[in-house]
Amino acid sequence: MGKYITKRVLVTIPVLLGIILLIFYMLNVVPGDPVTVMMKEHLKEDVIENLRRTMHLDDPFFLRYLRYVWDALRGDLGVSWKLNRSVTALIATAFPYTLRLAVAAALFSWIMGIPVGILSAVKKNSLMDHLSMGLSLFGVSMPVFWVALILQNTFKGVLPVSGANSWQCYILPTVVLGWSSAGRIARLTRSNLLEVMRNDYIRTARSKGLSPLRVISRHALKNALIPVITVMAIQISSLLSGAVITESVFAIPGVGSLAVSAINNRDMPLLQGTVIFTAVLIIAGNLVADVLYSVIDPRIRVE
Amino acid sequence: MQDNILEIHNLVTSFASDGRKDRAIAVNGVDIAIPKGSTVGLVGESGCGKSVTSLSAMGLLPDNGRVESGEAIFCGRDLLKLPDRELRKIRGNRISMIFQEPMTSLNPVIPVGKQVSEALRLHGGMDKETAKRKSIEILERVGVPEARRRYDNYPHQLSGGLRQRVMIGMAMALKPDLLIADEPTTALDVSIEAQILRLMRTLQRESGMSILMITHNLGVVAEICDEVYVMYAGEVVEHADVYALFRDCAHPYTRGLIASLPRMTPKGQRLYTIRGTVPNLRAMPAGCRFAPRCERACKRCWEEKPLLQDIGNGHLCRCHAPVGTNGNGGEGNG
Ligand SMILES: Nc1ncnc2c1ncn2[C@@H]1O[C@H](COP(=O)(O)OP(=O)(O)OP(=O)(O)O)[C@@H](O)[C@H]1O
Ligand SMILES: [Mg+2]
Repeated sequence: MGKYITKRVLVTIPVLLGIILLIFYMLNVVPGDPVTVMMKEHLKEDVIENLRRTMHLDDPFFLRYLRYVWDALRGDLGVSWKLNRSVTALIATAFPYTLRLAVAAALFSWIMGIPVGILSAVKKNSLMDHLSMGLSLFGVSMPVFWVALILQNTFKGVLPVSGANSWQCYILPTVVLGWSSAGRIARLTRSNLLEVMRNDYIRTARSKGLSPLRVISRHALKNALIPVITVMAIQISSLLSGAVITESVFAIPGVGSLAVSAINNRDMPLLQGTVIFTAVLIIAGNLVADVLYSVIDPRIRVE
Repeated sequence: MQDNILEIHNLVTSFASDGRKDRAIAVNGVDIAIPKGSTVGLVGESGCGKSVTSLSAMGLLPDNGRVESGEAIFCGRDLLKLPDRELRKIRGNRISMIFQEPMTSLNPVIPVGKQVSEALRLHGGMDKETAKRKSIEILERVGVPEARRRYDNYPHQLSGGLRQRVMIGMAMALKPDLLIADEPTTALDVSIEAQILRLMRTLQRESGMSILMITHNLGVVAEICDEVYVMYAGEVVEHADVYALFRDCAHPYTRGLIASLPRMTPKGQRLYTIRGTVPNLRAMPAGCRFAPRCERACKRCWEEKPLLQDIGNGHLCRCHAPVGTNGNGGEGNG
């Protein structure tokens, strides 16, 4: 068990290095000279020369990569060209907003998705089932910005539609961001539960005289939810990283908004920092999902 | 007739299948009686309706299955008409079941001990500690070594034989009046099978319970049963006590089954097989259901459905020309 986790953690290191390399490479071939971006065209030749040297811009690519990784390991992601502040500090300020939104959306999707999925499975083919599966499909397949605009128009005046200065501000973004996850979880819960209910051990449980409710809660649910829990762990990381559109539409100053402003300003260190930060979150989410899976599924636990 | 623990009368069970209006009749008017304290075998090829018969009686049919008619009298009460709440008090308590596949029949994510103690807590009203202590005793009783440690094991950590012992322990936990064992040894190898059968017999002797042993293995029947019902295509075709059945089986199908037993075949001779296959549930022959595969079939067999008749000493057979008669379908055509 401990060995499995250690192995699993060690495996992520090369993955992480590879991803940083990829991002670093892609963003470095994009045209746009940082010094020009920073200073506009007001500078003399020698000042530019000097700046390029202190920023190591003329060093070979691989050297710059290694330097970047080394700095990143110590928590230094460089300095934003546009805002002239430490990227780490910028992300640290923005991240709590993103985290709040993602956690709220995740909770929303679990609290909605799992019970709805269970009810749909139990009342298979009922009106409730069709209705909730329809709504789930809607959530999964509609573009986020479109749902966001509709909700903003519908609830204008009732709920705040932009900003992040009160908890009410998070309600609409949470629904927008969490809806598709909730739909996915509801559908997955439903189909898993239906699948599990066909198993022999469910018949065994019934043959013991357990009530239908206990058969589901004691025997079916744990089996059905194991894959759902894994998906939930992965979703948290994708919610953290996927909030870009939602944050922009609702003007929440999170990491997503930071990334969007970095793109608009051609602020490479900031963009690089946010993208790599997000990639790390996703990898960590997958890691947690794997470990969680091995903890809750006894069949994997021993191996 | 109050010395029967369970009497199934004229049971008819059907299944719906996707995209079809008509229902397939899987069990067609089955009568079975299980005397108190005895072991009754229910044999027949795969798909003849053995499992469906027992599941119908226990109210455990899958969603698409339905009992059309019949009754299953247990201690004076018809199980088929009991409300679910009442039936649940009987299931796992007075009638227990063991299923074929011990791997898939145990819940993979619940420790086996817990699965044993569950019924004890439900029907026996025991608290957690007592139930656990009792479960460990039961596991020891059914021959699970190191029962205390095994209590916390998950099914995949046990061998097939041990899993089936756990299943038996689970079923025996509350000393049921009737144990329905649906092919309990089919998935096990021969030596383990012998051990499991011995265990079941010992437990039966101790508790005086009755057993309905569902199997397609006549060897198992010979080993453990007192009397036998032979099923073919959803119907009982022969019923006799086990000696009479092996000595003078009357139905050509039963004879085929016995002839295809390996040890009944002289050395060097090819193993006998019954030609043809089981008829489709939706396209049953009009006359005898076995006629298309029967070496003795004649015109009457194809046209007229034989009834289950007493051919002496309570030996029942559904055949116009039972083995041992002149084999021309009776009544002088010839
Ligand atoms: N869930 C189901 N849906 C439709 N038909 C079914 C279902 N379960 C069983 N049947 C049909 O009922 C008939 C009897 O099946 P049953 O499981 O009782 O056979 P069996 O005698 O127990 O065979 P086996 O030795 O393979 O266990 C089969 O023809 C099968 O196709
Ligand atoms: Mg069966």
